[in-house]
Amino acid sequence: MDESVSPTAVQRGLRGDHVAGLVLVAIAAFVAWENRVYPLGSMAAPGPGSVPLLLAAILGGLGLLIILRGSGSPLLNSIDWSEGRRGLVLLAVCAAATFALERIGYRLTMIAVLVFILGVVERKKPLATASVALGFALISYYLFATLLKVQLPRSPWGV
Amino acid sequence: MDGVFGNLMLGFSVALQPSVLAYAFAGCVIGTLVGMLPGLGPLAGISLLLPATFGLDPIVAIVLLAGVYYGAMYGGSTTSILMRIPGEAASVMTCIDGYAMTQRGRAGPALAIAAIGSFVAGTLSVIALMFLAPTLASFALRFGPPEYTALLTMGLLVLSYMSGGSMLKTLAMATVGLLFGMIGIDAMSGYTRFSYGQTELADGVGIVPVAVGLFGLSEILMTAGQAATPPAQRPTLRQLIPSMEEMRLSVGPIARGSFIGFLIGIIPGAAHIISSFVSYGIERRMSAHPERFGKGAIEGVAGPESANNAAATGAFVPMLALGVPTGPITAVMLAAIMVHGIAPGPMLITEQPQLFWGFVASMYVGNVVLLVLNLPLVGLFVNLLRIPYSYLYPAILCFCVLGVYSVSNSVVDIWIMLAMGGLGYVLRKFQFDLAPVALGLVLSPMLELSVRQSLAMSGGSYGIFFDRPIAITMFGAAAVLILLALKPLLFKSKDWRSGVGLDE
Repeated sequence: MDESVSPTAVQRGLRGDHVAGLVLVAIAAFVAWENRVYPLGSMAAPGPGSVPLLLAAILGGLGLLIILRGSGSPLLNSIDWSEGRRGLVLLAVCAAATFALERIGYRLTMIAVLVFILGVVERKKPLATASVALGFALISYYLFATLLKVQLPRSPWGV
Repeated sequence: MDGVFGNLMLGFSVALQPSVLAYAFAGCVIGTLVGMLPGLGPLAGISLLLPATFGLDPIVAIVLLAGVYYGAMYGGSTTSILMRIPGEAASVMTCIDGYAMTQRGRAGPALAIAAIGSFVAGTLSVIALMFLAPTLASFALRFGPPEYTALLTMGLLVLSYMSGGSMLKTLAMATVGLLFGMIGIDAMSGYTRFSYGQTELADGVGIVPVAVGLFGLSEILMTAGQAATPPAQRPTLRQLIPSMEEMRLSVGPIARGSFIGFLIGIIPGAAHIISSFVSYGIERRMSAHPERFGKGAIEGVAGPESANNAAATGAFVPMLALGVPTGPITAVMLAAIMVHGIAPGPMLITEQPQLFWGFVASMYVGNVVLLVLNLPLVGLFVNLLRIPYSYLYPAILCFCVLGVYSVSNSVVDIWIMLAMGGLGYVLRKFQFDLAPVALGLVLSPMLELSVRQSLAMSGGSYGIFFDRPIAITMFGAAAVLILLALKPLLFKSKDWRSGVGLDE
């Protein structure tokens, strides 16, 4: 912290590292809970549950240390999430593509994904959108599936 | 010595075969493009290309992927110098003085020195790799499970100590990676852990979906809405020639960068990134005029660019000699070898001499290809950046889905990639380093197996880790690192890492 800043000027509030540390502790607790079904074994002969439990304990400890030392980290509300909405849309598009990939095939899925991102998210002109979507889907399929012999899914209609 | 040169000749007989040469060339070109494009680092590039190598000869596969790796190191400097956009993370330091030189009309010499430094560092470190890897492999034949336990523990601690940012956060990320590595069948007991009935998870979580998600997808999520890229200068061939003074000032940084980069490359972590930070810090400290740094000092380009290329080669030493990856990139490359039924480890060099020496020779060839390719064709490559990012990122996104699916034809891998992409985005917002997650995932099964095998060997006695000289030495080094890391925590002092920009 800059020593020239008076203590009264220090902003109060939840810090990024406090939240991050809490999440790590929660993950550690979850792993420890889920791990209860695996035998722990003994110190001399550790079972399949021993290492995950040890790692969960270390993660929990590190999470607590991050919370304790987190007062110098940025305030939680100062973290810029401005691109988060677009990121969520992109993740949702990818999730839809994952669902569709083995149902309607690689080429149709990629065309749909690119038409949505370019046409709807990026608001590109229809001709440019269609050209890029078709060009990418067909050329990448030819390159990977035909030339490099990578197996890519086809639709029930053979496309 | 005769043996080394005899083997090198064997390597060149492999590397100069037209098919190997063609793939080395293709790898270098793809790597250069990958290095230039923001959002696609060498790791994402290699991961995406991995499925395409399954049908290739193992030598060709590893030569192609290695070409992408060190090609990306070259390519990353171009956009850093011309546009202040680091195509990949190792080029961040090059942005500072490289772009300042561009603003002063010296873009050409900056590009030339970056390429020459990369070439010299790349070549010197291949020579070092050639002598060091076989020696280390012979030494590693003495390694048993306790030594591997010590080596992997030390590796994870070195990674945490050397990574940028908070060591606590880096250790936490390494632990998260180790926990991801617990998913799947336990090799000692046969229990399937944390798979929740998904048969695809029985083999564990693959490095490719995790790497592409954490590094590729999260970068797209961070940058998708960014403003248009600024126009780039395109220097002519004549403008590339550095002055005698610039050449003189660059000799020392290139030599030091090569040495430091290679050493840092051998130890685990995001070596190529760290090495460029360390090299920049050292050059600034050693300079008689440190005030020139940040305003277009050629040493600020020569040192980091040499260091990141040397580190890229140095990372191959433990990968080839010990079968131990030092980071996610070498982990993916090891996966590429293992797909062909080749077991990595100390016996690789003796059992697969054509693979090892062919690979070494291909790196000499690759460095020459990159020098020849990068300088005259820089104007051509810069054209790629004219494609608006709004068109580029959807294509990269589709490549991510395509690449991850093709590894094992499984949509579960794509779901893992999406989860990792979201996780990577959030972790970056909270200033966590992502490389330890990927490295922890790869090292986790090896570490657990070696610990439990050691205890089985000793009848349950932990003394086995302290009875053996190699293991105790490495554990000692790990203990020293822990103490060094604790020092600033306990005494509120700063360690050397803050001097080179690695600390918080």
